[in-house]
Amino acid sequence: MSRSKLGVSLFILSEANFFVILIIAYVYYHTIPAGGPSAASSLDPWRTGAFSICLFASSATLLLAERNLRRDRHRAHFCWLVITILLGAIFLVGQGNEYARLITGGVTWSRNLFGTTFFTLTGFHGLHVFGGLCALAIMATVALTAEMTDRRREAFAAVGMYWHFVDAVWVAIFAIVYLWAFV
Amino acid sequence: MNHVLAPGMEGTAPEFAAQEGLLSWVASVDHKQIGIMYLLGAFVFFGVGGIEALLMRVQLALPNNHFLSPDTFNQLFTMHGTTMIFLVLMPMLTGLTVYLVPLMIGARDMAFPRLNALSFWIQIFGGIVLYFSFFDGGAPNAGWFSYTPLSEKTFSSLPGQDYWLLGLFAIGIGTVAGAINVIVTVIDLRAPGMSLRRLPLFVWMGFVNSWLMVMALPILNGALVMLLIDRELNAHFFTPEAGGSVILWQHYFWAFGHPEVYIMILPAFGIISEVIPTFSGKPIFGYGFVAASTVAIAFLSLSVWAHHMFAVGLGHLWDVFFGASSMAIAVPTGVKIFNWTATMYGGRLRFTTSMMFAVAFLVMFTIGGLSGVSFAVVPLDWQLTDTYYLVAHLHYVLFGGTVFALFAGIYYWFPKITGRMLSEHWGKLNFWSTFIGFNMTFLIQHLLGMMGMPRRVWTYPALPYWGSFNLLSTIGAFVLLFSMLVFIWNVFISLHEGALAGDNPWGGWTLEWATSSPPPTDNFDRVPPISGRRPLWDLAHPELADELVGRAE
Amino acid sequence: MSGILTLNPLSPQAAAISHLFVDILGVLGGIFLIVLVMVGYAIVRYRDRPGAAPPRQVFGSRKIEIVWTVIPIILLSIIFGFTVRSMHASDPPITPGTTPDLRVVAHQWWWEADYLKSGVIAANEIHIPVGQRWLLELDSADVIHDFWVAELARKIDMVPGHPNHIWLEADRPGTYLGVCAEFCGNEHAWMRFRVIAESAADFDRWQRAQLQVPPKPSGSEAAAGLKLFEQNTCVNCHTILGTPGNQSIGPDLTHFASRTTLAAGAADNTNANLYRWLKDPNSIKPDTHMPNFQFDDADAKALTAYLETLK
Repeated sequence: MSRSKLGVSLFILSEANFFVILIIAYVYYHTIPAGGPSAASSLDPWRTGAFSICLFASSATLLLAERNLRRDRHRAHFCWLVITILLGAIFLVGQGNEYARLITGGVTWSRNLFGTTFFTLTGFHGLHVFGGLCALAIMATVALTAEMTDRRREAFAAVGMYWHFVDAVWVAIFAIVYLWAFV
Repeated sequence: MNHVLAPGMEGTAPEFAAQEGLLSWVASVDHKQIGIMYLLGAFVFFGVGGIEALLMRVQLALPNNHFLSPDTFNQLFTMHGTTMIFLVLMPMLTGLTVYLVPLMIGARDMAFPRLNALSFWIQIFGGIVLYFSFFDGGAPNAGWFSYTPLSEKTFSSLPGQDYWLLGLFAIGIGTVAGAINVIVTVIDLRAPGMSLRRLPLFVWMGFVNSWLMVMALPILNGALVMLLIDRELNAHFFTPEAGGSVILWQHYFWAFGHPEVYIMILPAFGIISEVIPTFSGKPIFGYGFVAASTVAIAFLSLSVWAHHMFAVGLGHLWDVFFGASSMAIAVPTGVKIFNWTATMYGGRLRFTTSMMFAVAFLVMFTIGGLSGVSFAVVPLDWQLTDTYYLVAHLHYVLFGGTVFALFAGIYYWFPKITGRMLSEHWGKLNFWSTFIGFNMTFLIQHLLGMMGMPRRVWTYPALPYWGSFNLLSTIGAFVLLFSMLVFIWNVFISLHEGALAGDNPWGGWTLEWATSSPPPTDNFDRVPPISGRRPLWDLAHPELADELVGRAE
Repeated sequence: MSGILTLNPLSPQAAAISHLFVDILGVLGGIFLIVLVMVGYAIVRYRDRPGAAPPRQVFGSRKIEIVWTVIPIILLSIIFGFTVRSMHASDPPITPGTTPDLRVVAHQWWWEADYLKSGVIAANEIHIPVGQRWLLELDSADVIHDFWVAELARKIDMVPGHPNHIWLEADRPGTYLGVCAEFCGNEHAWMRFRVIAESAADFDRWQRAQLQVPPKPSGSEAAAGLKLFEQNTCVNCHTILGTPGNQSIGPDLTHFASRTTLAAGAADNTNANLYRWLKDPNSIKPDTHMPNFQFDDADAKALTAYLETLK
């Protein structure tokens, strides 16, 4: 494994631990009966599911970007990279939209434990998505304007791993927060 | 006899020339300079944390004393603990690790030199954020583990607590970044012949320790953000009125906090594992067992956290499980003490200052470790936790253990880092005053705890002997102050007039001694051939090379 | 030795811990001596001397490693067995549904004691009958505190939202010192309490006295003090039976004069100290939640006189 990939794998391990802590808090408090809005009463898994599909699709498009880079098809690589970023951005917009809906509906961080844990968990995920988008945008700029040296290819592979991780975390969060509430 | 080029950052122009001037240090990505900066920064904070301790000891020298107000005292003990752990011990150990690991594995630098610099500066930034609290309403005062709900806004309305949370968050990120760097460096940058089984134990311990950091620090950061969110956004993670659990904070904190104490001792074990063999003239006894026990400790450390919570009332099932796991972790730790001692048997022991600190470590850490075992006996913990007996225990392992090991390491590697020898004359004075001062301060605290003195009290009533024992402890603290001044003096004069060290003043066997003191920018002109755990021994004794002669495992 | 509270047990629960403690100290002390001797011998015997032969390069011994791994495992297993047994003896199980005898609620920085069977509400000094095992329910009104009477029982946290229970009993009559053993804010140091164990007859007498509504004070100074109490904001925090004061933000003062200390152990309960407390609470317990009412001398004297009638 290249140095960059090794480093990013370790970074992913540390971030995974961070998310596990947030998830444990969500799960623990979800099992305690409490008053006020809950996941079941405030969330819309269909709408969020639609945006989630964009995020999941972005992993697929990223894989396509990676494959094209391996085959030195730089224009295709760049295009798929841009599509990945767009899909990720749509996901974030969808999230923002959902937050706006919830907050105007009275579900806030301070409202109750559902609000606290929901916004914290999904919020930090969103932050990580945003960070990933920044990194992808940088890689897209490099792909457009500079030569893809070996080091840059390694860096891209590392960023790719991070993006897939962020995606995987959303699989877990979507299942635990949106699906489990309705089971 | 083929010497080789040290592995480095292939493909990058190595513009790491050590330029003159302070600014070059700020911009440096050279692991040696960064290591030195870690050590210097940590030493400054050691002075600050030490003054915080001295002030507390003055307040506690007499019963019913009014030298400090309770609020000031509470800020001091909070800052003392936080500083010593996050801004002194961890960066000191990281500094030595970052300085030595590339040298010991025959590399030119760390895998990610810029990340190395970033880790250091983030940590300094975190320290500044933490100390800025003194200028904005007062330092945090809820203790270094900030139990909720005391640390929630309701009971700690001033921003000091937020500075604590933010400062530690930054330090956590820096620590994980540094750990990732060490792991990748050890995996990827070893010189040819340096298999993982031939790593110097200091490197191995640093490597295992880095995995522990990657696992544990994110847990802290998770807890920190939750408390920050509680405080700033009126959330409810740890507020009981809204259904939050104050105990959840403790679980999270100690799930980090216990691995954290092993994070602070494993590199110290690494130092001892280098120093004792060198000054005994023979290799470490049981390299494989020492290495394996390190891994065992790392794994077990993730499973003992609730032994900090025996008094919380979790129920006997929890207490029994964590009592058992806490006893289990004593086994690999004890094994190491036996191995280090056995290394000395049959040796030719040279009592340099470094060796004296290392031998004292064996005894001091044993005391701390045994008092730790007494805490694993749950009913004893029910009496002794949160008393001065616990304060004694933690100082015996962290000071008698880690700090003594750090002194052993500093006296050992100062010649390599600076090119000059520290004075053995001042070193002996340093050692004895530290040893006497340390024991005078902390030994009696075991008894004070048994007598019923709780910890974190700004004063105490004039019960029989409470005053005189506390006074003894305070005097010891001033003896420690003296010993630190001796050390500073030793460093100062040695930098100016110390004997020139040469490449290998101690006759060490690991690769850092195969280059000049201080090493050149790229560490090695050529790396000696590596066919065993002690390359320089093998070079000097080809007929008696370690792997030729065969190892007993 | 009696000053070493953890080794001066005066209850069966504390005795279980104390005996284990002595045994463990012995074992650990023995291990320490072994290590000390091993290290001490090495540093003397193997000291570098001029002309000494180069040391034999020994790498280890699997046999020895196994021995000194297995022996500690066996030793620790034995210790673990004793640990579990002592846990049972020192913190006996509680049948679910048992009603507590006494509920102690920790506040920053004083102790509220609610006698659930008799209805007595006391503060900072807890009387119990000798030889009877009482079940205590421990709770907190604010932050985490810890209830610790070393001579009588283990310590246990008082956690808001998570009530705990322990058994409390005393073999002999006496006054046993207790402290808060979990850092709880500025005056954690002066959050002390006393457990006073007395004969059944004495305890009954005490309980009955505690239930009495104090008579109106006869002296003029004390009467003035009562008026001050009723007319000032004292009643917003303190309860005194027979007056409008019925809050429990501060300690119940109905029988204040029957206590040996004031401010949860910060000072002895004397007229002089009480006067000082009323004039400036921070002079006795800095950062206490009790405000400084800026009483003039006459008012402070009057209040002191009144409060000291509350036996």
